[in-house]
Amino acid sequence: MVKHVGARLKRKEDPKLLTGNGNFADDIQLPGLLHAAILRSPHAHALIRKINIEKALQAPGVVAIYTGKDLEGKIGRIPSSWLVPDANLKEAPQYPLAIDRARYVGDGIALVIAEGRYAVRDVLDLIEVEYETLPVAVNQKEAMAEHAPLVHDDIENNIALHWKAGEVDDADIDGAEVVVRASFNVQRVAPSAMETRAAIGQYNPGSGELTLWCTSQNPHIHRMVLSEVLNISESKLQIIVPDMGGGFGGKIGVYPDEALIGYAARDLGRPVKWVEERNEHFSASNHGRDEIIDVELAGKSDGTLTAIRVRNTANLGAYLSTMGPGVATIDFGLMITGAYAIPKASCETFGVYTNTTPTDAYRGAGKPESTYQIERAIDLFAKKIGMDPIEIRRKNFAKKEDFPYTNAQGLVYDSGDYEKPLNKALEMIDYKKLREEQANQRKKGKLIGIGISTYVELCGFGPSAVAGAIGFQGGVWENSTVRVHPSGKVNVYTGTSPHGQGHDTTFSQVVADKLGIPMEDIDFVFNDTKAISMGWGTYGSRSVAVGGGAVSMAADRIVDKAKKIAAHELEVSVDEIDFSNGVFQVKGAPSKRRTFKEIAKSANMAWNLPADMEPSLEKQAFFDPSNFVYPFGTHIVIVEVDKDTGEIEIKRYIAVDDVGRVINPLTAEGQVHGGIAQGVGQALWEGIVYNDAGQLLSGSFMDYAMPKARFFPRIETAFTETLSPVNPLGAKGIGETGTTASIPAVMNAVIDALEPYGVKDIEMPLTPEKVWRAIQNGEGN
Amino acid sequence: MGIQDVSVGVIVNGKERCAEVEPRTLLVHYLRDGLGLKGTHIGCDTSQCGACTVMLDEAAVKSCTMLAVQADGTEITTVEGLGTIKNLHPIQQGFWEEHGLQCGYCTPGVMVAMVALLKENPNPTDEEIRIGLEGVICRCTGYQFIVNAVKHAAKLMAEQNIEIEEVLS
Amino acid sequence: MKMEHSYSFKGISRETLWKTIQDKEVLRKALPGCKVFEEVEDNVFHSILGINIGPIKGEFTADVQQVDKQEPESYRLLVHAKGKPGEIEADAAMHMEETEDGVTLTCNADVEVTGLLASIGQRIVGGVAKVVIGQFFKDIEKETKQMAEM
Repeated sequence: MVKHVGARLKRKEDPKLLTGNGNFADDIQLPGLLHAAILRSPHAHALIRKINIEKALQAPGVVAIYTGKDLEGKIGRIPSSWLVPDANLKEAPQYPLAIDRARYVGDGIALVIAEGRYAVRDVLDLIEVEYETLPVAVNQKEAMAEHAPLVHDDIENNIALHWKAGEVDDADIDGAEVVVRASFNVQRVAPSAMETRAAIGQYNPGSGELTLWCTSQNPHIHRMVLSEVLNISESKLQIIVPDMGGGFGGKIGVYPDEALIGYAARDLGRPVKWVEERNEHFSASNHGRDEIIDVELAGKSDGTLTAIRVRNTANLGAYLSTMGPGVATIDFGLMITGAYAIPKASCETFGVYTNTTPTDAYRGAGKPESTYQIERAIDLFAKKIGMDPIEIRRKNFAKKEDFPYTNAQGLVYDSGDYEKPLNKALEMIDYKKLREEQANQRKKGKLIGIGISTYVELCGFGPSAVAGAIGFQGGVWENSTVRVHPSGKVNVYTGTSPHGQGHDTTFSQVVADKLGIPMEDIDFVFNDTKAISMGWGTYGSRSVAVGGGAVSMAADRIVDKAKKIAAHELEVSVDEIDFSNGVFQVKGAPSKRRTFKEIAKSANMAWNLPADMEPSLEKQAFFDPSNFVYPFGTHIVIVEVDKDTGEIEIKRYIAVDDVGRVINPLTAEGQVHGGIAQGVGQALWEGIVYNDAGQLLSGSFMDYAMPKARFFPRIETAFTETLSPVNPLGAKGIGETGTTASIPAVMNAVIDALEPYGVKDIEMPLTPEKVWRAIQNGEGN
Repeated sequence: MGIQDVSVGVIVNGKERCAEVEPRTLLVHYLRDGLGLKGTHIGCDTSQCGACTVMLDEAAVKSCTMLAVQADGTEITTVEGLGTIKNLHPIQQGFWEEHGLQCGYCTPGVMVAMVALLKENPNPTDEEIRIGLEGVICRCTGYQFIVNAVKHAAKLMAEQNIEIEEVLS
Repeated sequence: MKMEHSYSFKGISRETLWKTIQDKEVLRKALPGCKVFEEVEDNVFHSILGINIGPIKGEFTADVQQVDKQEPESYRLLVHAKGKPGEIEADAAMHMEETEDGVTLTCNADVEVTGLLASIGQRIVGGVAKVVIGQFFKDIEKETKQMAEM
C-alpha cells in the first residue's frame, strides 16, 4: 500500500464546504432562538454616569437588557490565562460589561436580548448612556510617561508587566567594534478571520446543562475558564465549536461576550445567539502586535555578532487578554537571537495598559516581532560593514553540528540545518546573477531590491512543565482516542481544534498508515468538549507536532492490542506476528493472517480474547512533548519600487521552509502561502489606526487594507526536511512560519531597493506615500 | 415597526420562492434565514469581502448590500445551486483538486464570483484571475491555490464543452 | 481633525453678514436637514439635524454655543452633536474679514468624532463636511441677499 504520510492528497473536509453544507456558528438555528447585541462604548475612556434603558424597554421584541451593574456578582471576572512570572504582573479586573468606566472604544456597556436579528439592533439604538469623557492613553511609550492618564487608577504608569531575560552589560555593547542601534515599530494589526466571532447559548433548566456553541480555537480552554466565570461545573458546560471561518489567534481569547451569552441563555431559559458585526469585530476582538522594539546589535567588523540587547515596549490594550502577557515576553524575548549564535543576549519587556482594544496572540505571536528585529538589524549591520547580507547570515548561523543548540538565553532548539534551506533558496533565484541584474537596473534608474530572511521560530506548544514554569495557566499536552468500531471503521478524537488547517486530512493520513486502512474508513471528531475528554486547542503551530503525536501514539496502541488478539487467534506468540498494510500475519507463514477488519470485529465481540484482556478496540494516548519545535528556513523577496509613486511591486517570492516531516505537501504549501500573505500584509498594507483621542479609525475593510489577490506574484515554495526528535512524527509547526519570515524579508527588500537614497528604515506599513517621502528626503534628492 | 411587510418573488436555484418580508430585509438574510440557504456567508457588512456573493440574473452581486425587495422578480443562484456532492460544478471540483480553500468561509462567494468571471472569460490568465478576485477577500489561502482552482475549472469546463459539442455534432 | 474653510460673500458688508448669521430663522433654514432650532438660553441653541455622510445617515441632536463674540469680526462656535452613528465635538473659530468686494468668512474648526463616524466614516468626514459647510455658506449668502432686499 502506498504511504499516505508525505502524499499530496486533496482534503476530506472540502466537499461539505464546497457545496454550502458547512455548519458555521450563524448557521445554527434553535427553536425559540433569541438574538443578542452588545452596546459598546464609543469613547476610549469615559465614566459611565447613567444608563437609561426606559425607552429601549418599550421597543417591540425586547426581552431583556443587562448592564454591568446588573451583572455584578453574577458573572465572574474574565481572567488572563498567561500570568508571566517574575514580571511584577498586574492584572486589572475585567468585568463582562464595564461597570462604571469604559476603557476602550468597544468596551461592552449593555447586553440586549430581543426577538429577531433586526429588532435587537433597534433596541440597542434606544439605550441612552451619559458618559463623562476622561483623558486617554493610546501610545504605549506615552502611556508610561509621568502624568499620563491612568487606564486603571491603581496601576502605576500603566505598566502591566516588566520582564527581563538574559544579561548584556553596557561594555558588551559600547566596547564592541561595530554597533547597530535601531527602533522598530511592529504596528498593531487585526487578525481578521473572514468569519467574525459568534456565540449561541442553550440551557436546560431540568438538567442544569449549558451548551455553548462559539468561535474558539481552544474549546477546552473556553470550558475551563467559563466554568469558573459562570460558576457552572465543567461537567455541565459543553462547548462546541462548529465549522469556523479562520482564527489566526483572534479566537484564542476567552472574551466577555461568550460569558454574557452563556449567562443570558441560562438566565432567560431560552437559546440566545450573538453574531459580531465586522465593525464591532475591529473594536471588540483582540488585535495583534503593537510592539515598539529598540535593539542594539554589537559585533566585530568581520561580521561576527557578539551581543544583542533589546527593549520591547508592548501595547497590551485596556485589559490583559487570554494570552496577551506572554506574547512580548516569553514568545518574543527568548528568540531575539534568531538563527544566529550570538553569545550574549538580553531582552527587557514592558507591557503597557492603554485605552485601546486588548492585544493577544496573532499568527506567530511574538516570533514575527523577534524575527523582524533581528533580521532587520543584521541587514543594517551588514550594510554598515559592507558585507553581503547572505554572507553575514552564514557566518553567524548556529552550526548544524551544534544541535540541539542552546541559545544565549537558554532555549534549546530541537534540530536545525540552516544552510540547507538557504542554499536551496539561493539556487532557486541564482543570487549572483540577480545582484548583477540589480546593478544594471539601477544604472537605468530602476529600483530593484532583494530581501532575505533566514528565520527560526519557536512553536509546537509544548512541554507542560515548561508551560507551568512560564506562567501559562494550562497544560499544553495533547490527547487522542482512537475508537475502532466492529466494522473496522474508525473514529479518532483529539483536542486540537481545526478551523481551516485541514487536521481531518493530515491526521487521517497518519492513522491510515499506522492502521493500514483507507482514509475513507477514518473519521475525526474535534471541537466538542463532551466528545473529547481534554485538549488544549490550536495555536502556536502545535497541532501536528503535539496533536499529531498523540494521534500517532494512540494508533500505535491500537496496533499493539490488535497484534495480541491476532496472535491469540493464530495461536502464536506476539513476537511472531508481522503487521503491515492492515494485515497481521505470522512471520514466514503468510496464509496465517488476520485483517485489521477481522480483528476489529473480534475485539468488539470479545468472544475469544486472550485471558485478562479487556474487550473492545479503543485506545487513548496523552502526549506531552519533551521540547518545543523550531522550524526554520529562508525567504527571499524581490521587489521593484516605483520611484515616482512610491508603489511597491513584488516581482518574486521564494520560500524554502524546513518544518520537519511534511505530512501533506498540498496543505503545507497552503499554510505557507496564507502565512506569507498575512506577513506581507503587515509589511505593506495593514494597520489598525487610533487617533489621539483613542478613536479607532480603521473599523471596516474600507479602512483596513486587506491583502488582495492582485498584490502577489506566484509564490515559489520548497521544503527541506530536518526531522524533529521531540515528537513521534518528526514534524514541526508550519502555520506561522510564512508570517514570521515574510515581514522582514519584504522590508529588507524595499530598503535594499532604496539603497541609492540611503534609506535605512521606513515604518510599516509601507504605503506608497511613506516610500515616496523616504525617496524625496533621501540622499541625492 | 409600523411598516408593512412586502412581498418578494424570486427564483432561487431553479425554485420559485415567494415570501412576505420586512422591507429592510437584506437579500443575504432572506436567503439564509428565510430560505435556509446557509451556504452564503456574511464577512464584512460593507461589500468588500464578497463572502455573500450570489448570481443574480447572470451578474455576481453582493447580497449583504442589497435588499431582498430589490431582488424581486430576479433569478438567483447561490452556492447550493452550483452543484451537488455527487455532481460537483467544475468550479467546486477545481477548488477541491487545487486546495483553493482552507476554512471555507469565503469560498461559496468566491466560487460564485469566479463562475461569473469564467462566463465572461472562459480561459483567463493568472493575472486576469487575480484581477477578477478584486471583489473578494480570502484570509487563509494567499490566493495562489484559488488561482490554480479557477484555471482547473476553466480546463474542466472547456473539456465539457467539447464533449457537449461532440454529442451535438 | 482640523478643518479650514472660507467663503467669500460678494457685495455684502460685514455688519449685514453678522446680522444674518446671528438670525435664528436664517440659521434654521441654512443648517443641513434642520428640524428643530431653538435658543434655550442666551447664545445657547438646541437643534435636531438630519446628517447624511456617505454610508452613514442619521439624525443628530446638537447643542450649539456661541462664545467669545467680537461683533462684527469673530466668534467661536462650540458644537456637541449626538446621533446613532456617533458623536461630534467641534470647536470652530469664525472670522470675518472685509475685502474689496465683500466679506470673507473663514471657519477654522477642530472636530472630534466617535463611534461609527470615526471608525468607518473618518476618511470621508473631512470631504463631506466641506460640502456641507459650503452649502451652508451658500444658503447664508442667499438669505443675506434676501434680507438686504427686504
